[in-house]
Amino acid sequence: MARYILRRLAIMVPMMVLISILCFAVIKLQPGDFTTQYLTDPRVTPEMVAQIRARLGLDQPAPLQYWTWVKGILTRGDFGYSFAYKRPVQELIWERLGWTVVVAGATMLFSWVVAIPIGIYSATHKYSFLDYFLTFIGFIGVSIPSFFLALVLMYLSLRLGGTAVGGLFSQQYIGAPWTWAKFVDLLKHLWIPLIAIGLSGTAGLIRLMRANLLDVLQAQYVVTARAKGLSERVVIYKHAVRNAINPLISLLGMQLPELISGTIVTSIVLNLPTMGPFFYDALINGDQYLVMTFLMFSAFLMLLGNLIADILLAWSDPRIRFE
Amino acid sequence: MKRVALVLLLLLALALPAAAQLPPNPAVVDPALFEEIGTYGGELVLGLSAAPRSFNFYGVIDNNAYTVLYNILDPLVAENPATGELIPALAERWEVDETGTQVTFYLRDVLWSDGTPFTADDVVFTMVHVVMNPNAEGNSVDRFTLGGQPVLWEKVDDRTVKAILPSPYGAFTRVLSHALMVPKHKLEPYIAALNRGVEPGTINQAWTTDTPVEDIVGTGPFVLSEYIVDQKITLKRNPYSWRVDPEGNQLPYVDRLVYLIVQDPEVMLAQFRAGEIHRITITGQNYPALKREELAGANYRVLTGSPVSPTPSPPHLSFNWDVDDAEKREIFRNDKFRQAMEYTIDRHRIIEDVYNTLAIIPGVPVLPANKAFYNPEIEKIMRPYDLDKAKELLEELGIVDRDGDGIRELPSGRPFELTLTTAVNVQAHNDIAVILKNEWDQLGIPTHLQLISSALVGERRSAGEFEVMIEAFGNQPDPQLRKAIWQPGRALYYWHRSTMDENQQPVLENMVDWERRVFDLFELGEVEMDVAQRKAYYDEWQEIYADKVPVIFIAKGMELAAVSNAVGNVFIQENGQIIGTNYTAFIKQ
Repeated sequence: MARYILRRLAIMVPMMVLISILCFAVIKLQPGDFTTQYLTDPRVTPEMVAQIRARLGLDQPAPLQYWTWVKGILTRGDFGYSFAYKRPVQELIWERLGWTVVVAGATMLFSWVVAIPIGIYSATHKYSFLDYFLTFIGFIGVSIPSFFLALVLMYLSLRLGGTAVGGLFSQQYIGAPWTWAKFVDLLKHLWIPLIAIGLSGTAGLIRLMRANLLDVLQAQYVVTARAKGLSERVVIYKHAVRNAINPLISLLGMQLPELISGTIVTSIVLNLPTMGPFFYDALINGDQYLVMTFLMFSAFLMLLGNLIADILLAWSDPRIRFE
Repeated sequence: MKRVALVLLLLLALALPAAAQLPPNPAVVDPALFEEIGTYGGELVLGLSAAPRSFNFYGVIDNNAYTVLYNILDPLVAENPATGELIPALAERWEVDETGTQVTFYLRDVLWSDGTPFTADDVVFTMVHVVMNPNAEGNSVDRFTLGGQPVLWEKVDDRTVKAILPSPYGAFTRVLSHALMVPKHKLEPYIAALNRGVEPGTINQAWTTDTPVEDIVGTGPFVLSEYIVDQKITLKRNPYSWRVDPEGNQLPYVDRLVYLIVQDPEVMLAQFRAGEIHRITITGQNYPALKREELAGANYRVLTGSPVSPTPSPPHLSFNWDVDDAEKREIFRNDKFRQAMEYTIDRHRIIEDVYNTLAIIPGVPVLPANKAFYNPEIEKIMRPYDLDKAKELLEELGIVDRDGDGIRELPSGRPFELTLTTAVNVQAHNDIAVILKNEWDQLGIPTHLQLISSALVGERRSAGEFEVMIEAFGNQPDPQLRKAIWQPGRALYYWHRSTMDENQQPVLENMVDWERRVFDLFELGEVEMDVAQRKAYYDEWQEIYADKVPVIFIAKGMELAAVSNAVGNVFIQENGQIIGTNYTAFIKQ
């Protein structure tokens, strides 16, 4: 097992290098760079643009820029400098990581906690009224874009006299020390992103769980278990669900990068202080090292997520062995 | 009883924030900024459309940073928010010598917000090492360089500074109003020229968003109090603020000024409606709904102000003089053609349909409200909507429908079609484009709309890859500040890029006669110190523009704002302008 994990970790190194080259190439393929935004600004003279380009090293050939960046990481652990913010990119990402993980983690938790029981219920009560009803809700959840749902929820909240529109806190609690009132205020705000972002994931998970469980429920060992006279509870939870949930565990691993990237448009619409809108701005403005670091971080989480999913799978499914 | 009242009054005076820390010679701000004398306390909450990238005014080119920092830092000479006139700020007064090349500033006796005195050293430091430092990203080197020579700054004594200009410079005090003073005692360590081992450009890393707020000191009405990343910026009153109201009360009135960072304009509007934000700028599209709510008793008022500030930028129509198609190039360069096209623009209809009537006929491009520079003569020159005149001119040019298919042909016999490019994400530009397309289609000039993202529009424009374009640039109070756009041969004179060589220097021989004249007028206006003579130069420029229409100005949106009824001293002045500064606003109890 340990050898397997080590090998997987070792493979991640060349993968990251390849991903970084690809990302950098794509960034360089987009037209313009950080200074493009200033070309239309009458306050900025062409001389100033040339000065900025030279200072940021944007006048150098792309491979050289890439190499300088990689060298910084290898020799000093320095992921570069944000052109816009004039600060090291890892600091900027770190500043925003907290709320991003809280929001994304809470939504993920929300969708899993809601989806798995509903999926199990739907499968075990196939074609009942509640099954149809929940499946229908699921379809709606899959088909409505989350940013739109966010807008609708905000509109409804405003119409019903609520003041919790956008953001995570009311104005007076932003930056205030933690109190019970602040926590309540957070909950008042958090339900909109939870539902808006979480619902589509929830709906997908419900359908997946239901389908998997239905498959498993047909299997012979389930029939055997029932024939042995085991209680329905044991049959479902100990035998069927444990097998049906395997594909979902792989899915969980894939969701790890969503902790930081998540849904950009919805975060903008909901005015969440998360990484999504921040990354979007960096992308639009050609803040290349910020974009690179962010993408690398996201790729790393993806690889890590896959590894964790594989390990979890081995733990939950005795049929899978690595040697 | 009397004694009790006296004690109470004394207590009140003590409770008044920092009244004892007023500088010896405070400045009374213009009474035109007040509807009533305010009361102290409370907080004013405003929205900001993105987080500032830095708190260093000269380290970034970022409007959100500027918005915040204008509350914290002051220039030597400021624009009066009520009139646009130049008034004393950190300089109590100034004198220009008879040659027009030496300007002496007498500084106000004030303290930085950390208690350090503001002196001539700060001014010289700011101007020489920050404002005119080419390595500072947000520098203004070009505004303080005349004919290749920089303006020199000299300390006369602690309270006196002299600027030595290479030649007379008419807009000098105006451009100086955009140069905010920064403290030498805080920023000196970041200057390469003053410190061994400090790299050029280090100044940009000063006062970034993670700098402790106590280190960011200023002389303005407010100082930074707290920044919560991407969510909220809180400013508090500067105890040493040097502005007072007409009754001598130290400004600002509010204890705190809060900027909530809200990227999405719809969310900002929703937060305004929910009472979270006190004041916002709105668009013509939002106006009807908000006005209705106001009349139905909502706790806010909608203000429609006459346009005075550079934004919202007035859209204009341009034809590419350097387009690839040789025949079209000839046509676009012909004054008569552009004049014909001006006759096809129904500005009144655009104002009504696109702007919900909340716009005015623009200047070219100096705004009618700009008393210092507006030339009313242009009203007689600008061409009204008149399709017959347009047809007449087109026929004179030989752009006629010869084969009777309803489409006009060029003199060569090719059908005459146009491609109109504009930004898809600017609603007003889109709507105007559609109106123009209909007009031109009916005139026998089939028009194709190319609606693309504003970033792409910018690229097409800089590359000269377009035929006809709707674009918009703001109108600054002094034409000198926008010579980069309106003077031929400059970086943003985009409809005739061949007036500029590859080093972005003007090429005089590629300019037509009147462009040469405009070029000269801007050069003359720059070095002229006499106010009347400067106006004469820019008057002539406006007349040439109105007649030759290098670009056709379409409309200028009014300034629209909505403000909570809890806030006082935000109102419409007699001349129709919206008044309301952060230091005169107060929260009604």
